[in-house]
Amino acid sequence: MAKSLIRLEIVTPGGVVYSEEVEHAVIPTANGKIDILQHHAPLIDRLVPADVKVVDRDKKVDYLAIGSGFVEVYAEKIYIITDQAILVNEDDDAEIEEAIKRAEEALEKGKNSNFDEAQLQVLEAAAKFEQARKLAKGKTR
Amino acid sequence: MPNTRDIRNRIKGVKSTRQITRAMQMVATSKMKKAQDEAKTGRPYALILADIIVSIADEFEEITQSYFVQKPIKHRGILVIGTDKGLCGALNGNLFRKLNDVENSAKFIAVGKRASQFLSRTKRDLLADFSLPDKPTFQDVRKIVDFLLRSYDEGTIDTIEILYTGFINTLRQEPELLRLLPLNDLDSMTQKLHERFGEPEHTAPKDNREILFENRDAVLSELAGLYLKQEIFQLVLESQASEHSARMVAMKTATDNAGNLIDDLTLQYNRARQAAITQEILEISAASFTN
Repeated sequence: MAKSLIRLEIVTPGGVVYSEEVEHAVIPTANGKIDILQHHAPLIDRLVPADVKVVDRDKKVDYLAIGSGFVEVYAEKIYIITDQAILVNEDDDAEIEEAIKRAEEALEKGKNSNFDEAQLQVLEAAAKFEQARKLAKGKTR
Repeated sequence: MPNTRDIRNRIKGVKSTRQITRAMQMVATSKMKKAQDEAKTGRPYALILADIIVSIADEFEEITQSYFVQKPIKHRGILVIGTDKGLCGALNGNLFRKLNDVENSAKFIAVGKRASQFLSRTKRDLLADFSLPDKPTFQDVRKIVDFLLRSYDEGTIDTIEILYTGFINTLRQEPELLRLLPLNDLDSMTQKLHERFGEPEHTAPKDNREILFENRDAVLSELAGLYLKQEIFQLVLESQASEHSARMVAMKTATDNAGNLIDDLTLQYNRARQAAITQEILEISAASFTN
């Protein structure tokens, strides 16, 4: 019997990061995590920076860290648009730690030195994204 | 008859010019490819973003958010994407010709030295002048977008339009004037988007998607901002691809011309040299004949 699959596409301004048929995906939205399987009702929601859990056709579990953005589900497809996304299995712990530190330092510096608001938001998003990356990474072990 | 040394010097000069134009051609070629690839990677993002905007907007009976409502247009706001450097054929000239039929009440924002030079020379109302690095990032474009949105919010300008050079292929670039805000006609916006990317209109079933968040007005304006940023970023990249390919073609022509000139000069040089030799032989034989 054919497996019931749904297409997941994660898209950033830099290109399509992830595009696979998956069994289901757990997506962090502003209203909490939602698990999306085939035949899910069409919806649109905001994303929060966290990790997306993906279970693919072979029941293999992957985690992707994403930044803020939007999710749209319709016609048996999940579209995620976000400012950044990364498949976490690929990177290395030290690098993530380093990135968190950098992001937080920059954020701290920004707050002290009266940066413009938008710049601060960008930094904050970066810091959150790095935290999400760490979290997701922890789950893969 | 010019003497052989003069011709030799000219040949040398033209050769070194050819070397420079050839190098510029190579550089432009590789930059063009990069800019083109980069412009393409953002396309899916833009399409999905537009789709989300449309489906959220569908939910509203009437949108009152200022980015989506057409105000009476007193001053058009036009962002002109020119180049910083010349030597790219008729690219800037073609671009600026489009501005001839724009009324004088319009206000302009320039990107690139050539654009600001032209606008100030023709005494247009130039609000701001930005410069972008060779490889612009999303961040670089943000300050431009912030400025545009602020001017729009304050009512300094009533539309946000962009004049850029569309990349059709390596040999053809066409100037285009595109309106980005207000988004009062979403259907034509998505249609244009698909046309520009050369992709078929994607036929999403118009089933109502449940929208799971509150505060839709705010989200809508956030989305409009994102869309504007994405579009401007894309079009800047596309303009750069156009610039580089125009430069590549211009430099290729220059290189070819230099080659032709060298051929002509070499012929002239050989003729002059032969004439000199014949002259000498004539003199020698005349001298020996008299002896």
